[in-house]
Amino acid sequence: MTDLVFLSLATVTIASSILALEARDLVYGAAALGIAFLGMAGLFFYLDAAYIGAFQIAVYIGAVVVLILFTVMLVGPQLGEPPLELKRLSLLAAILVSLLLGTAGAVSSASAFPGPDNCGSGCDLIGLSNALINQYGVQLEFLSLVLAAAVIGALTLAKTDRKTE
Amino acid sequence: MEPITSFFAVSVILLGIGIYGLTTKRNAIRILFSIELIYNAANLNIIAFARLSSPPLVTGQVLVLFTIALAAMEAAVGLAIVMLVSRLNVDIDLRKLTRLRG
Amino acid sequence: MGNPIIDLLTNTYFLEIVVFPGLTSIAILGALLGWLERKLTARVQLRIGPQYASPAGGILQMFADIIKLLFKEVTIPEGADTFFFIMAPVTALIIGAALLGLIPFAPGIQIANIQVGLPVFLAIVTLSPTLVLLAGWSANSKFPFIGGLRALFQQTAYEIPLWLSTLGVVMVAGTLSLTGIVQYQQNSGWLIVPQLLGALLFIITSTAEMERLPFDLPEAESEIMMGWQAEYPGPLFMLVQGPAFVKLYAFSALFTTLYLGGYLGPSPIPPILWFFAKTLLVIVLIMLFRSTFPRVRLDQLLRQGWTTLLTLSIINIIIAYFLVVGFPAI
Repeated sequence: MTDLVFLSLATVTIASSILALEARDLVYGAAALGIAFLGMAGLFFYLDAAYIGAFQIAVYIGAVVVLILFTVMLVGPQLGEPPLELKRLSLLAAILVSLLLGTAGAVSSASAFPGPDNCGSGCDLIGLSNALINQYGVQLEFLSLVLAAAVIGALTLAKTDRKTE
Repeated sequence: MEPITSFFAVSVILLGIGIYGLTTKRNAIRILFSIELIYNAANLNIIAFARLSSPPLVTGQVLVLFTIALAAMEAAVGLAIVMLVSRLNVDIDLRKLTRLRG
Repeated sequence: MGNPIIDLLTNTYFLEIVVFPGLTSIAILGALLGWLERKLTARVQLRIGPQYASPAGGILQMFADIIKLLFKEVTIPEGADTFFFIMAPVTALIIGAALLGLIPFAPGIQIANIQVGLPVFLAIVTLSPTLVLLAGWSANSKFPFIGGLRALFQQTAYEIPLWLSTLGVVMVAGTLSLTGIVQYQQNSGWLIVPQLLGALLFIITSTAEMERLPFDLPEAESEIMMGWQAEYPGPLFMLVQGPAFVKLYAFSALFTTLYLGGYLGPSPIPPILWFFAKTLLVIVLIMLFRSTFPRVRLDQLLRQGWTTLLTLSIINIIIAYFLVVGFPAI
């Protein structure tokens, strides 16, 4: 039963991420990317990280995919992507890297991570919030500063342009 | 619970797809897609390893919260640049785009 | 044992999803809410409203409308993107129904009782402007696309105050689970008393999220003639209207759960009736906004959302902080 859930989530994630890159229309690509993120959120739920799953949906689909769609619609259709001569070679390279990493991971980690069925305190919301505030509070502050800087930067990029036009 | 190998496999496949996109695509937005996919592969890996070590660690989730925020930020700045470029040039082909100055 | 079909039909989980609080009840209540809205608006404006569809004040009006719309021809606009044109409203309906699965209607009557119910609810809600944008884009027409872009701008204005306004409740109750929040109110009284500011902000921002007057910019009839819904033909138009009422129902239920004690109430009346009475009260309140306030402009909404609403929701968090740690002695 659980295997089926995992399998379907993994299939959806992988298939829609391939579609995201290969769909001819960028709007379809963005929608497929959204579905891939949704599948990833499902995997997070499956791994008892429900809060991260909710965060993933809100940030990735609620913000990033919307932003991408907005940009795609503003920029206009970018049809007729010219084929790249390196295509086959890089496909081969990607597969090779994946295989190499995959075997390395499978050999090294299968027995080292037994994974208890019941997560207990390791997935607790209270533990998460304690770690986030008490242990990593400074990093959180820095992250929010960086976030503010990035938002201001993005706004400046978009705004100065409008004035010069 | 699934063994760690399954999650690792999904993560590695996503990474492969991301690398493929990064190397073959010319459109800036598609390259952004690939970067997001690689981010997601990393996130899945972190969460899976944290959950399946014994005892399960909560630090993995904290790390992923940070990565998600950083990825969103990167997308915001990247798309702002794409918009700017698309107003200056017609094309957002990264291989023809050689200067960022207006 | 015995017949697997009978086993399935008497399974509580199956019944919860299909009958109550699941799909069937959502469809019927959505249609009844449509009638209520039209009747209420008409009475406020000193009109009669729906009257002929049944003896009891035209209560079956929406069902008659559904039958009428079903027999209309399905026309897809020329140059439209058929896939998104049809899939966007269908997905919106599924999302609306998924929201109701998280609400505790009575002790034990809840489809998904998860530890992080509130963030999941709000996260699912963030998906709907994306669908509005896709629906508006797919119609390949000017007014729908303007409506879709308006939905996007509107989202940036209300999303952050919406999340922050619920944070006060979470801090005071000390849990993210919706059932946990209701159980907290059993001992301490309704949270609307200490969190009045948060409740006000929540109802304002959720009205904006539902795209109802005074915040119905994406579908403003008098400006952009129903906005993103403009190109939808009969049966699909019904499908497009559905999510609006389902979301109204879901948000009123969430307001009841967060601030009005959910299903709690004196015992002779069963909890489920308490829940529906309170939810109906909130629904009527939100419907009265429609006939009371004029529509805001987009720039007004953005400015107020980023200044007034954001400031007030941070003040609300400060109030919640003092409620949790105790007021300092002056």
